[in-house]
Amino acid sequence: MTPVDTATLAALFPSASIEDRRDGTWITAADLDVEAMARTMTRLGFRLSTMTGLAEADGETTIVYHFVISGHPVHIKTFTHGATLASITPILRAASWIEREIHDFFGVRFVGHPNLAPLLRPAELREGFFRDAATVPLQLTRWQTEQPS
Amino acid sequence: MTYTVPLGPYHPALEEPYKVSVQCGGDTVQTVSVEVGYSFRGIELLAQRTGWVQAVTLLERVCGICSHVHATTFCRAIETLAAIEVPARAVYIRTLLCELERMHSHLLWAGLAVEYIGFQSLFMEVSNLREGVMDLLESISGNRVHYGVNRIGGVNRDISDIGPIVEQLGVMGEIIKRDVVPALMESRTALTRMRGVGALSPAQAVEWGVVGPIARASAIATDVRSDLPYLAYSELGFTMVTQSAGDVLARVSVRVLEILESIRLACEALERLPPGPLRAFEGMPSIPAGEATVYTEAPRGEVIYYVASDGGDTPARVHVRTPSFVNIPALEAMTMGQQFGDIALIQASVDPCLSCTDR
Repeated sequence: MTPVDTATLAALFPSASIEDRRDGTWITAADLDVEAMARTMTRLGFRLSTMTGLAEADGETTIVYHFVISGHPVHIKTFTHGATLASITPILRAASWIEREIHDFFGVRFVGHPNLAPLLRPAELREGFFRDAATVPLQLTRWQTEQPS
Repeated sequence: MTYTVPLGPYHPALEEPYKVSVQCGGDTVQTVSVEVGYSFRGIELLAQRTGWVQAVTLLERVCGICSHVHATTFCRAIETLAAIEVPARAVYIRTLLCELERMHSHLLWAGLAVEYIGFQSLFMEVSNLREGVMDLLESISGNRVHYGVNRIGGVNRDISDIGPIVEQLGVMGEIIKRDVVPALMESRTALTRMRGVGALSPAQAVEWGVVGPIARASAIATDVRSDLPYLAYSELGFTMVTQSAGDVLARVSVRVLEILESIRLACEALERLPPGPLRAFEGMPSIPAGEATVYTEAPRGEVIYYVASDGGDTPARVHVRTPSFVNIPALEAMTMGQQFGDIALIQASVDPCLSCTDR
């Protein structure tokens, strides 16, 4: 039983494409007001499970917000513009570490995040190193310095 | 007088590295900040450079405690993406190992927790029980830690003799009911040390988005096994354990009672083990382009895998969200206003896994 059905979601996100799949409802919206979306999903009782970053070839990043309510997952997909997206941490505290991780891995700047400090990124790697690793070999400074001369 | 105490990254209470900086006024905790990342291995990145079959082995190594859950969840994501139907016998074997793994994780945690409160005799009893679960896992899979049972489309190993396993689980259940449950939930030692300590209210649990036993101890009735039934859980039935106090004692109670439910589920899975093949296909799988997100209830709570394929030989993207990643930040809410001396116990009650968190 889905407390929030596809028709309701379609009304909430009129410019988005919505698809029901085996693993939940997928919503894709290129220009999404993520702050308004976070407020709406919170008001409806959804829990933010996580967010996924996907590197695009043009330097942008696809961001998927994974919400769940009463056993029904809803995945909302949008895209960064100029490697930037509004932070939803001021609305959903649970997003804080997730946005910091995506910043570490893909270099996305979440505008409005209260503390976008490195979370998992080793000091010798720059932000967005997952993206770098797709095109250039990782420069593992510590490994190189520990090699016998 | 206000002072700041750094706990970790080499830790007084845990074997894994992370840092908790605590600012105190007298003995009362005023602010807390948590730093992780000391165990970062880049497993998600490595998975994208590894073949589909090899990635199962790699992702099983996200964690040394809930390794089977990671391999299972990754396989389930691929099977969802590629519309692969897993044979019923393989589904039941996966379910059995999930529950044995939950037992050994909860028993390990219970042993450590009682050691922190100075209950050494119970620590030895619980460790002995956990060793029995490890023996069962070894007898089934050939391995004590990374079981290597999962493969895409099924499992690698069969179970031939279920009688001794059911018998062993029955004996463990009796010992847990007789010794462990009263010692942890009723004894004066446990109640005095854990009741009212490190409480997380239901509203705070929602605010911080905690999952698993932490959420259930704060009266949030969430468990992937009932919310989004997978493997054999809808056929086996499942009783969720919740508590309302949200304190360390409630977290202990949830885990102890969940061990008993895991024993029931494991026995049920064994007794109803269906006949049939172990895998959907032989040889290497061909994974079409697409994406899938799946949810599994690990011992510490909800695990999420997002897997994308571009139709190639390696995953295009693997994202792993572990329960500790969302439970650890809530330490801030649990420790604020508490006594400094309770910090070690409160953070242990979260059962934080840094190997999972950092990946």
